[in-house]
Parts: sequence; C-alpha cells; structure tokens
Amino acid sequence: MIMAYADLRDFLAALDRNGQLLRFTDPVPLEPDLGAAARAVSNVTDRGPALLFEDIDGYERARVALNVVGSWPNHALMLGLDKDTSLKEQFFAFARRADAFPVEAERVGTERVGTERADDAPWREHAVETDINLFHLLPLFRLNRYDAGSYIDKAAVVTRDPDDPENFDTQNVGIYRIQVKGTDRLGIQPVPAHDIGIHLRKAEERGENLPIAIAIGNEPVITTIAGMPLAYDESENEMAGAVQGAPYRIARAPLTGMDVPWGAEVVIEGEIIGGVREIEGPFGEFTGFYSGGRRQPVIAVHRVHHRTDPIFEHLYLGRPWAELDYTVALNTSVPLYRQLKQDYPEVVAVNAMYTHGLLGIISVRPRYGGFAKAVGVRAMTTPHGLGYCKVIIVVDDTVDPFNLAQVMWSLSVKFHPAHDLVVLPDLSILPLDPSSEPPGISHKVVLDATTPIAPEQRGHFSQEVDQPAGTQEWENRIKRLLT
Amino acid sequence: MTAPKIPDTCPRCDSHDVSLLTASPVPGRWFMYACGVCFYSWRSTEPGYATDPAAYPAAFKIDPTDIPKMLVVPSIPTRRGGTP
Repeated sequence: MIMAYADLRDFLAALDRNGQLLRFTDPVPLEPDLGAAARAVSNVTDRGPALLFEDIDGYERARVALNVVGSWPNHALMLGLDKDTSLKEQFFAFARRADAFPVEAERVGTERVGTERADDAPWREHAVETDINLFHLLPLFRLNRYDAGSYIDKAAVVTRDPDDPENFDTQNVGIYRIQVKGTDRLGIQPVPAHDIGIHLRKAEERGENLPIAIAIGNEPVITTIAGMPLAYDESENEMAGAVQGAPYRIARAPLTGMDVPWGAEVVIEGEIIGGVREIEGPFGEFTGFYSGGRRQPVIAVHRVHHRTDPIFEHLYLGRPWAELDYTVALNTSVPLYRQLKQDYPEVVAVNAMYTHGLLGIISVRPRYGGFAKAVGVRAMTTPHGLGYCKVIIVVDDTVDPFNLAQVMWSLSVKFHPAHDLVVLPDLSILPLDPSSEPPGISHKVVLDATTPIAPEQRGHFSQEVDQPAGTQEWENRIKRLLT
Repeated sequence: MTAPKIPDTCPRCDSHDVSLLTASPVPGRWFMYACGVCFYSWRSTEPGYATDPAAYPAAFKIDPTDIPKMLVVPSIPTRRGGTP
C-alpha cells in the first residue's frame, strides 16, 4: 500500500520521523546563508536531510524549507519506500507506477470559475488582492552570488491551452524559473519547446494575456512530475496520481480557474502579459553555469492565497549534484526508458540523471552487431532527447547503469574508439548547454560499450571472469552482519 | 528606523534609476532596492559583491545599451488574422 502525502508539512513530518530533517531555530541571515546551507548539504553527502529554517532575519514567523528531495533517502521517502531503497530499485518502482498512468485526479470543491464559494483547501485561508507584497509574504532571497535577484524556482506553475481551455489533459503543470522583480511583478522563462511556451504562443496569437497560477510549497510528487518530460496532452496530475499510487488531490484557483495542488502553502494568481518582453536573469542554472540575460515575459500578480505562516519551499541548483539533480534524476530516466522499451524490449534500464539527461547510460541486451548503437541514436530522437542526450553510453544488460564503477569498467575494456564511437553533427540541444555553438546546436555522440556480437567479431571477450560460486550468499551474510 | 537612503547607482548596470523595493517586515532589519533599467535587486545586508558598483565583477556587469539587443525568448508571434 503506497502512502500519498497530503502536503509539504505531511512530508516534512515523515522526513523528521526518518531522521531526514534538520531544524534550525537560531536566527539566520537570508544572504548568503540560506543558499550556502542548501549548497553545503549536497556537498557533504548524497544521503542528506531537508533543512528547515525557523527564524529568518527580518521576519516574525517566516520559515524556509530547503533540500526537501535533495538526497536518495528523501527521494525514496517521496515514493513511499524505505529510505534505504537502492537507486536502481527506486527506478524500477517509479517506472512500474508510471505504467498505471493516467490516474484520474481527485478534485476537491465543486465551485465554478469566477464564483467565490469557499472550499477546504488550506491555502484558501487568506486572500490578498490589494497592496500585494510577495517579499512580506515569503522570505525571498538570492540563491547564487550573481543571480539577478530573488527567484521562485520550485513552484507548480499551471496554465491552460487558450484554444481549448476546458481540456484537463492539456492543462500544464510545470516548473519554470521565476524572477521576483517587484512586490507584485514577476519575470518567467517559458521556453518555446515547453508546454507553457505553446500556451503563451497561442495566447499571444489571439492577442490575449495568459492566465497563470503558481503554487508554492507542495508535497514532493507534483513538483517532481512537473519537471518530468511528458507529452503535451498527458496530465501531470494524472501522472502524479500514478506515481504516488492514489488520485492526486487538486483544488480550483478561484480567479484563473486553474487546478492547483490542494495542499499548497501559497497560490499566486495572475497573467503573463501578452506581447511584453523584459530583461530577466542571469540565473545560476542546473548546468553549473549562469544563463545569460534575455528578454523574457512578465507576470502581473492579481491575487495571492496563502495559509497562515506559509512555509517557503525553495530549491538550490548550480553545479551538480544539488537538490535539482535529485528531483530530475528518475523523472527524466523513466520516460526515456518507457519510450525506448516500446520499440526495443531489450532495453533493461536507463540512467539519464546527469544534468537532466545531457548524458545518459542505457543498458541493453543487443540482438546483433550494431544494435546497441541504434538504441543509443534512438534516445536522441525521443522528445526529451531532442534537447538533451548529447552523450549516450550503451552498456550490456549485465551492467547496472546506475553503478558508475561498472559503467567505467565497460567503457575501459569494451569500448573501441575506431568502431564504437558514433558522432552525429549539428543536432538540436537546449540553448543553456554552455558548449553548444551556436546556442541550441551541438554534435552528439554514442559510446557503444557493449560486447561485440555477431556479425561483429572482434576483440577477446570469451573468457570473462565469473564470480566464485556462493558469492551471492556471502553478500547476503555480510550485509546482515553489517546492519 | 528612519527612511532608508536609497543608493544612487545600480551595482550591476551603473544606471541611476534605483528605487526602494521593500523593507523588512520587522522594521529596521533591512531594505531591498531595485533597478528600473536592468531589474537587478539587492538587499542592504548583502555582501559588497552584490551591492557595491565598484565591486560588481565585469563579467556580470550589464551595459544598458545592450538590453534592447538581447535575445527575445520566446519570440512574439504574429496575431491571428492581424498585425503583431
């Protein structure tokens, strides 16, 4: 039986019960300490806790939660698994549950758009429409040294297709970086390739603004799924239901009619202003480099709903590994695995967790010579691969792609540079890849580290060292003695 | 606490269109300022690298005359059946 978390507070309590939450009750300055603490915890360990700061300089009762999914134990707890579940087991659990998609969402409250009937979502407790000051509501802060300002970077951002606004499936829940430029004015980065970019293009073609809802401080599954590469008409709410093993609970944002997480701490409602672009950034990105400044869309905030004393959940990103890398590890690997598996059932597992899949490792049972290279190239033509998958390493089915020692062994002894290197020139890539030239274009490469098989007869692989008989029993015995 | 003295120069783009963004909810702890040209914002309590125009590194400085030339993302589409 899988347990779904009602909200962020419920998940923080579960982390606490499992020894995966650190509380800081001493006063803390916003800069540089909060960003530094979030960076530091990932530097120290990949089994680290979430950080909850309860006394923020300049605020009476503000709280900041950082690194909530920023370790493998926290990621396992998000999935309702034991915190010591191995990464490979987490991958297969995630993939199995994704097969249950779509799981219809549970809508709480039956109000119609525009009506003021209250429902029971906790964020409906307070609503602010005049003199909105996001800096007073939330302890916003600069994360990395040369970010342009304070950002919101882990909110569930909800928009609808302006040509088909009643369609639940094309309603999008995504994560986009949001610069807080004024007390009620935001900058946003809706990349054209993302679903929100499609919604904005349609709104601007119609000469309209694009209504938007921004839900901050959620249980962890929806924000993980919001960063998952899904098809345009696949509902994030219905995938979140599949992955958490229970219908995802949503409530309707009264001004915009967006379906937002029921358990959010804060819900901001407003509009992306059509036809307006304004300088935004730079912002320290998941590539480990700052994005340049660009002219990007602007959001006018019209209403803010919030709980009493909301928790500001924020995410650190920068040079991997940091919390972002945990949140996009399996949510990127699983869709690639599912798409490849459709065409090639011989695919065993996919580890695309390096910089959101700029580098990926595929383990496969090759059917014949050249097969592994084809699977590697196929990864590049999946929807996510069009912007990522710059380096694909293919290994045998006997190699665990999540075990880098095994992957490096395969590369070191099976990869032959004259035969196993496939370079494809000038393919598409996300423009944030700092090596792309021009931005958005890069060569891509497949490194075939599988054992050559017929009709490809080369190398000397017939006498592989096997494990001594009884190794598995001894593994189990040693594990028992260690616990 | 008395009203803040608003800095006259943006640390990042050196323009003089600086305004008070907000003050700390607990009075007197800090102020935040915003630049009306490059939309940089900073808090009075931040280290000099974020607040001092002379200390802001050249690689991250912005020349206001470059802003209109910056890439527009996403581009603005043509309106259906009409002009953009």
